[in-house]
Amino acid sequence: MAGRRAALRAVDWVAFAERVPPNQRTIFNNLKTRSDALAAKLASLPEKPVAIDWSYYRSAVAKAGMVEDFEKKFSALKVPEPVDTQSTLIGSQEAEANTLAATYIEGSKARIAQYQKQLEKFQNMIPFDQMTIEDLNDTFPETKLDKQKHPYWPNKPIADL
Amino acid sequence: MLSRTALLSANALKSKGPLGAGLVQASHSLHTSAQSLAPVPPLPEKGGKVRHGIIPEEFFQLLYPKTGVTGPYMLGTGLLVYLLSKELYIVNHETMSAASIGAVIIYGIKKFGPSVAAFADKLNEEKVAKAQEVKDLALTSLTQAIEEEKKQQWRAEGRSMLFDAKRNNVAMLLETNFRERIHMVTNEVKKRLDYQIALQNLHRQMEQEHMINWVEKSVIGSITPQQEKESIAKCISDLKALAKAKATV
Repeated sequence: MAGRRAALRAVDWVAFAERVPPNQRTIFNNLKTRSDALAAKLASLPEKPVAIDWSYYRSAVAKAGMVEDFEKKFSALKVPEPVDTQSTLIGSQEAEANTLAATYIEGSKARIAQYQKQLEKFQNMIPFDQMTIEDLNDTFPETKLDKQKHPYWPNKPIADL
Repeated sequence: MLSRTALLSANALKSKGPLGAGLVQASHSLHTSAQSLAPVPPLPEKGGKVRHGIIPEEFFQLLYPKTGVTGPYMLGTGLLVYLLSKELYIVNHETMSAASIGAVIIYGIKKFGPSVAAFADKLNEEKVAKAQEVKDLALTSLTQAIEEEKKQQWRAEGRSMLFDAKRNNVAMLLETNFRERIHMVTNEVKKRLDYQIALQNLHRQMEQEHMINWVEKSVIGSITPQQEKESIAKCISDLKALAKAKATV
């Protein structure tokens, strides 16, 4: 009887489903089933209640004044709207998620830069058959033999051969 | 005379430029300037060309303009003959042993040289192939990692849809609740009114039934025994008359 609540935003479930990573698929499916159930329940209830035929009741009920009394009270009645306790919570969750996502994207960009650097190093490398051992040690520092730690050939522990 | 020119030309050759890869590297290490050729230019695939296994091709090319094709051979033969005839080189038992050892070595190299070289090349090839594999793997994994990161970023952009869905759910719940409430109110009012009507109907019905029963009872009660006998007699006489009428028709 009172005014409408905020209009529902259309959620594109297909696009949403594309963006869900595989490890969160189950919770996404749960969310979807819940939302669908709610939507079905909402659709099953008519918006306006069944209208009461006052004239029929007035003629049928013998008790004097009862129907008028009911009618008056009924039209004066205002059903209270349910209180929204979750929207602020959702808002705060959204803000938190935004900050988390921002930090994650920052880290992701740093990682991409790192990978890009390594990629360039590999792409600009001289081919192996033109390398000397010094070049190899420069490009892959892990191949350098520590002559101080193991002064005698083969300059690395026997287990590593 | 010819011998002296041979010695002189040999000397000149030694001090001259490239005479195979070995000399190149020697001159490379004698560079005193700080400038070095970097990156190191690739090493030549094969060594300098040689004729008969030990004599470099450049020697023949050097003598070609003056003496033609047979020049170096004539030089070699003449040198040998001179050494032998002048007894500058004496043939003794060591000559025989040198000749036999030389023959065996040359036979060995000719027969097994290529296979040994191929084996050594294969070892090197394997090392290079392993390194190449590592490099290829690194390249593919890095490109893939970059793709994955980009994809994750794109995924994270969709987070607003989650919150839209949540808010929608909350709104739907509230709306459903509200509708249920007003429906409930209407139904309750209707039920009360219907109850009143049903109550009235029940009253009327009961009154009707009671009245009928009462009338019936009173009527039956008012029939006295005498009246009953009279009515039965009347019925019998009526029946007799009817039977007579029926018999005559």
